[in-house]
Amino acid sequence: MFDLSGRVVLVTGASRGIGRAIALELGRAGAAVAVHYHHRADRASEVVNTIEGLGAAARAFAADISDRGQVDALLRAVGEWKGRLDGLVTSAGIFRGPSVEEVDAADWTELIATDLEGTFRSVQAALPYLRRSDQAAIVTVSSVLGSHPAVGGVPYQAAKGGIEQMTRALAIELAPAIRVNAVAPGFIRTDINRTGHEDPTFHDQVARATALRRWGEPEDIAPAVRYLLSREADWVTGIVLGIDGGIALR
Amino acid sequence: MNDRSTLASAKVLVTGGSRGIGRAVVLAFARAGAEIAFSYRRDSAIARSTAQEVAALGRRAYHRASDAADPTEAARFVRDAADALGGLDVVVPNAGIAPTTGFEGVEPARWAELSSTLLVGPYATVDAARPYLRSSRGSVVLVGSIAGLRAYPEELPYSAAKAGLLSLARSLALAYAPEVRVNAVAPGWVHSDMTRTLYDSPRGRAAIERTTPRGRWGEPDDVAAAVLFLASEGARFITGETLVVDGGEQLAWRVGMLR
Repeated sequence: MFDLSGRVVLVTGASRGIGRAIALELGRAGAAVAVHYHHRADRASEVVNTIEGLGAAARAFAADISDRGQVDALLRAVGEWKGRLDGLVTSAGIFRGPSVEEVDAADWTELIATDLEGTFRSVQAALPYLRRSDQAAIVTVSSVLGSHPAVGGVPYQAAKGGIEQMTRALAIELAPAIRVNAVAPGFIRTDINRTGHEDPTFHDQVARATALRRWGEPEDIAPAVRYLLSREADWVTGIVLGIDGGIALR
Repeated sequence: MNDRSTLASAKVLVTGGSRGIGRAVVLAFARAGAEIAFSYRRDSAIARSTAQEVAALGRRAYHRASDAADPTEAARFVRDAADALGGLDVVVPNAGIAPTTGFEGVEPARWAELSSTLLVGPYATVDAARPYLRSSRGSVVLVGSIAGLRAYPEELPYSAAKAGLLSLARSLALAYAPEVRVNAVAPGWVHSDMTRTLYDSPRGRAAIERTTPRGRWGEPDDVAAAVLFLASEGARFITGETLVVDGGEQLAWRVGMLR
């Protein structure tokens, strides 16, 4: 079930957090994984080594996802690696939580360029390769904050909301050949959320607000991405799958 | 199933398991190594053939006739299934009814039939299974429909009942947390006995192909895979969700598909 043998998949932001867990899960499913990273070459090579230890192929690729030229170069390098690309997971992203008054022009630009434009540019640059695959699929990464508002971090929430509508619009425009879906994680214990889950009060508030009474782990997100990339999800496109422990039910 | 790595030896109950989506769900779980109990309404020959397919996979398939729309019968089937399997890990109230009513002068009896089949029955099944699921930390997957998400004046009571079922998934998810997860799938146009009339008419078949972005009808296996995923350990942090399996049809409002 949900086997990805023979597929080549690029995971952006794969050196840490959710992207790392996704890369490892795809390796377990038999995919050859292109592990994209920005700064942490050491962490990326650890991910590559772990995937190779599982018996799957992997290679690390560096790029600044907010830079159009670097994204184009990234996809060219990944496309040449195995001569094909079947899947793209756009997990690269940053989080900032300033109040509205604190958001300056540079914050806005950086957030939107990385999370929103970075996702779109990755898809755009991957298309020439994905169009040649007979089982092409894209999974974008939103957040519960892409559809449920919270105080602080308007640029992040606007970017994630944008990713959800981008996902639906891409699903229509790239149909029937390429499937496009999103996952929307809730509160997950990653570096991006470190200030949140290391604050005992906030940690408990989130856990109590979550139906399943805990924070999520990166490993909670990865199997859904594997399913959405698999042949078994061939008739699934344009969905945003919440993986949030039921935090937004009420 | 929250503390297990696979569905192997999971105890799975499916109502309406002899045909269509239910049969595909039964066989998908059997292939994953699960033990199955399924109910069927009438046709024992078809049920026997589904049970034989399960047996051929080396798995057990307790099955008997039971009207899943009748709360008393539904609860009795749950108890018998749990006795036969020695507990329950996954419950899939799948039994359905064909949507053909229209929107004019819908008779109270038809409303009653649809709501008892699509709401009261599934609730009775899940409610009776709750103690078993609590102790196994199991999960429920309800079978909704995209008719519950969009306007379907041609199928008014069906559409309203399916919308109610998706609401039930959210409320039960909160009610049963944290021990039991509750999710739903919302299939689009799936090729089965229930949709055979439309599928067999060339115009009807082509119309669905045209309005479905993936360009094809769904197969029961497409839905079964989604049910299996939601019931699996891989979905351990997913509850109260509706997983749409429709080839993208819910996206395809009329203007959106114009070029």
